[in-house]
Amino acid sequence: MDQDRMRQAGRTALLVALWVGGNVCLAQSGSNADRMDAIAGAEVGHALRPTGAVQLPVGTTVVVPPALVRDAQVHAPTAVDPFVAPDGQPPQTEFTGYPQRLPPTVVPRQPALAFYPCARCHQYLPVNATPRVLAPAHEVGLNHGAGRFWCDTCHDLNDKNTLHTLRGTAVDFNNAWRICGQCHQARQKDWYFGGHGKRLYSWKGEPVRYDCTHCHNPHRPPFMQRKPQPPPPVRAGLAAMPPPVMLNSPVWVKHTDRLIEGGNHDKQ
Amino acid sequence: MTSNESEPVAVEPGKADDDLANAARRLFMQRVGSAGVVGVASVASAAAATAATAAAVGLAKPAWGGATLRDAMGDLFQQHYQRMSDEEMQAALARIERKAKRKFGIDIHCEDTKPMPGTYFGYALNISKCRGYRECVAGCVRENNQGRDSQVQYIRVLEMDNGDHDLNHSEHYFDPETVPVEGKWYLPVQCQQCDNPPCVKACPVGATWLDPDGIVVIDYNWCIGCRMCMSACPYWARHFNWTEPQIPADQVNPITNYLGNRPRMKGVVEKCHFCTQRTRKGRQPACQEACPTGARVFGNLLDPNSEIRYILEHKTVFRLKEELGTEPKFWYFTDEARARP
Repeated sequence: MDQDRMRQAGRTALLVALWVGGNVCLAQSGSNADRMDAIAGAEVGHALRPTGAVQLPVGTTVVVPPALVRDAQVHAPTAVDPFVAPDGQPPQTEFTGYPQRLPPTVVPRQPALAFYPCARCHQYLPVNATPRVLAPAHEVGLNHGAGRFWCDTCHDLNDKNTLHTLRGTAVDFNNAWRICGQCHQARQKDWYFGGHGKRLYSWKGEPVRYDCTHCHNPHRPPFMQRKPQPPPPVRAGLAAMPPPVMLNSPVWVKHTDRLIEGGNHDKQ
Repeated sequence: MTSNESEPVAVEPGKADDDLANAARRLFMQRVGSAGVVGVASVASAAAATAATAAAVGLAKPAWGGATLRDAMGDLFQQHYQRMSDEEMQAALARIERKAKRKFGIDIHCEDTKPMPGTYFGYALNISKCRGYRECVAGCVRENNQGRDSQVQYIRVLEMDNGDHDLNHSEHYFDPETVPVEGKWYLPVQCQQCDNPPCVKACPVGATWLDPDGIVVIDYNWCIGCRMCMSACPYWARHFNWTEPQIPADQVNPITNYLGNRPRMKGVVEKCHFCTQRTRKGRQPACQEACPTGARVFGNLLDPNSEIRYILEHKTVFRLKEELGTEPKFWYFTDEARARP
C-alpha cells in the first residue's frame, strides 16, 4: 500500500517535471524570449531541485523524496503560460531558434562517431529499454542527469540512428544542441548567440560552431583534467623563480625557518 | 634565395643583371665585416673563414647583423612606418624576407597588412571556462615567432586561489600534473589593447601607436629599446628581447606582417597585436583558435550582431584594473548571465 502510494507520487512528480521542461522549449520560441526564459528557468529549478534517485522509465523502481511530492501537489505554477492549450496539454511544437537570428552552422558530428550508423548492429538486436549494463561497444557508464536518464531519454529506441526530444521529435546527431537545450536553456542561448562554445575559422560573417557533443561527452559532460602546456622558460642568465609559497605567503609563513623548537611565544 | 638577394631594391636601380659583381661585393663585406668585429689582428684568419663559420664557432656575430651592407644601411635609414612611401615599404619588406632567409634558411612572406575599414576589435574571455591548459600560449608562440628561450610570451596564464583576485598572489609558472587544480582559478592576461594606452604615451619616439582598428602596434625598427612602455603598462603585456630570439628554423611561421609577427631583433619590445596577420584578413587570432574550451571570443565591436557585443550586453563582464582609466578592449566574463532589470 505504502509502496503503491510512493510509486504514484513519483509518477506525478516526473510528469510535472517533464511538463515544465516542455514549457521551457515552448517559451523559448515565443517572441519575448528573455522574459519567458526567466519564468521557465525559475519553474524548472523549483520542480527539479528536490529530486533524488528518480529512474526512467516510469514503471521501474521510483524513489521520490517526500519534499518533491509535497511541492508537486501544493505549489501551482508561478506564472500563467499563454502557450498552453486550455486543456492543459502543451502544444506539439518544438524549439527551433530565437526570432532574432538563425541557428549557427554546426560542424557535422556524425562523421566523427566511430560506430555510426548505430542500426548496423541494432537492426539485429531487440529493443530493450530496461536499465542494465550495456555491451562494451557503448560508452561505459552514464554519468549525466544524476540518475534521471536512461538511453531512451535522448536516443530513439525504434530508430537508433537518430536522437529524439522529450516530445518525440526526431533530431539527427548533427543537431544534438536541440536535445541538450531542452534542459540547458541558458547554455543553449549563450551558444546560439556566441557566449558559449567554440567558433571556428573566422571572427566575421555567419558563425560556424562546434556542436555541444563535440566538446562535451553527452554521457559524461564535464571536461577531464589534463596536463597543461609547459610553463614559460626562465630567461637565459636568470635564476628560476622562487616557489610561489615564498612569494605569496604571509610574512610568518615566509620566515618559518626562524621558528624555535617549542614555540617562539614561550621564549620572549 | 640567390635571385632574391641579388635583386636590386629601389635604392639601386639598373644593376639587376650584375649578379657577379653583387656576389663579390657581398662576400667582401662579409669577410671584412667579420674581421672588423673580432679585431684587426685577426684579419688573416677572418679572411679564411666566412661570416657563418665565425658565428658558428662563437667568435662574434657576423657584421651588419648577418645582413649585407646594403641591407644594414637600408635598415639604418629606414623611415617610421607611418612615413614610409609604398616603395620604401616594399624595400623594407624585401629586406625582412632576405634577413629571415639568411638567419633561418627559409623563405618567409612578409607584407604590410592594413586595417580593415569598419572594424574595431575587442576580445572577451570566459574565466568560467578557462582551465589553465596553456594551449593559447603554445598557439601564440608558434604563430607569432616568439623566441623559444627568451621568455617572451604574449600570454601569461595566472593561477590564483578561489576567492582571491590579488594579482600579486598569482602564479604563472604553475606546472601540476593535471589542471585545473582544485581550489584554483585561471586568468590569462595579455595585451589589453587599451583605448587609452599608457604605453603609447610613454614611448619617447612614437614607435608604438593605436591603429585605426583598435590594435596597439609596434614598429620594431623604430623602437629604441628604452623600455619606457614596459614600465608604463599596468598589465605586464610588453616584453623586451634581451637576446636574439631563437626559433628552430622548421618552426618559423612564414606568413608574417610588418606590424605583427615578422621575426624580431634583439633589443626591441614586442607584445600581443591580436594577430594582425590573421585578424585583418578575417581569421581568428591564434589563441582563440588554439583554445580547446571555447573560452575566448574575438570580434568586431562595431558590429551589433557580433558575438562580443552579445557578451558585453548579456554577461557580467569586468576589465582588469579598469580604475586606471586605460579603457581596455579586453573583457573577462563568467557564465553567469547579467541580472535582468
